[in-house]
Amino acid sequence: MLFIYLLISFSAGASVVLGRIINSTLAEKIGTLQSTLINYITGLSLSYFIYLISKGEPLLSAVNKISVPLWAYLGGSAGVVIIMCSNYITPKLSAFYVTLLVFIGQLLIGIIIDYFVLQELSIGKCIGGLLVLIGLTYNLWIDRKESDR
Amino acid sequence: MNYLISLIIGAITSVMILLNGTLSNAYGNYASSIIIHVAGLISILLVLFISKSKFRLQAGLPIYLYGAGFIGVATVLFTNLSFENLGVSLTQALGLLGQTTISLFLDHFGLSGANSSGFKVKKLIGLFFIAGGILVMTIY
Repeated sequence: MLFIYLLISFSAGASVVLGRIINSTLAEKIGTLQSTLINYITGLSLSYFIYLISKGEPLLSAVNKISVPLWAYLGGSAGVVIIMCSNYITPKLSAFYVTLLVFIGQLLIGIIIDYFVLQELSIGKCIGGLLVLIGLTYNLWIDRKESDR
Repeated sequence: MNYLISLIIGAITSVMILLNGTLSNAYGNYASSIIIHVAGLISILLVLFISKSKFRLQAGLPIYLYGAGFIGVATVLFTNLSFENLGVSLTQALGLLGQTTISLFLDHFGLSGANSSGFKVKKLIGLFFIAGGILVMTIY
């Protein structure tokens, strides 16, 4: 079962790249904020469609009793903030540094969140994260050397 | 300052995985995907309104360009599923492996648009380190 979840999170990463390539092409034509709006409209329609055909999921009204902290609803807004910050930073800093620093920020906060939510601070995640960082840095470095020529 | 902003983008990404995952635990994966997209839609409408941006569709664009939102749904669903079972840091490390691998693949076939530079065997070394790191994160 673990393997399936590994595959699913791998696919999540792959889908990020595919979505970004398509979206940046659209952004060139109609603008970033505008293409982001389109993204959320089409995304919402598909989400609603999937929700309708998936039976057995609890209805929105039925689960309102479950106490969900208010901050949990801000995930979608966080996505928009990320898009805007990325737009701001992309022309100012080389892709090399942006990609590296974003990943360092992710991993650092990710390990902290896992510590508080899963109640675990594993040495393995720190060592593993460091290895991932080395591999990423190496590949980005090859890219940069290539583009300098 | 720019370095700090880059770090913050990463930090927000991690927090977002936590927020969306928490929502998904309470409402289920499909219903939470609706909520996440509604929150995003409201936010981007707000931004467009405040920045007084004009919105005009261009005629004659290929229809698939409007499809990124569909792929985004897959990203949300997969990430939430993964968060429930693997936590934040492993979800991201594996996501990165997925991103790197598909990028190499697309580069090789020249599908990634501008500056496709062909496949470089050297990059397998980096990929090997990333996969090794994930292995350590998983089995430790």
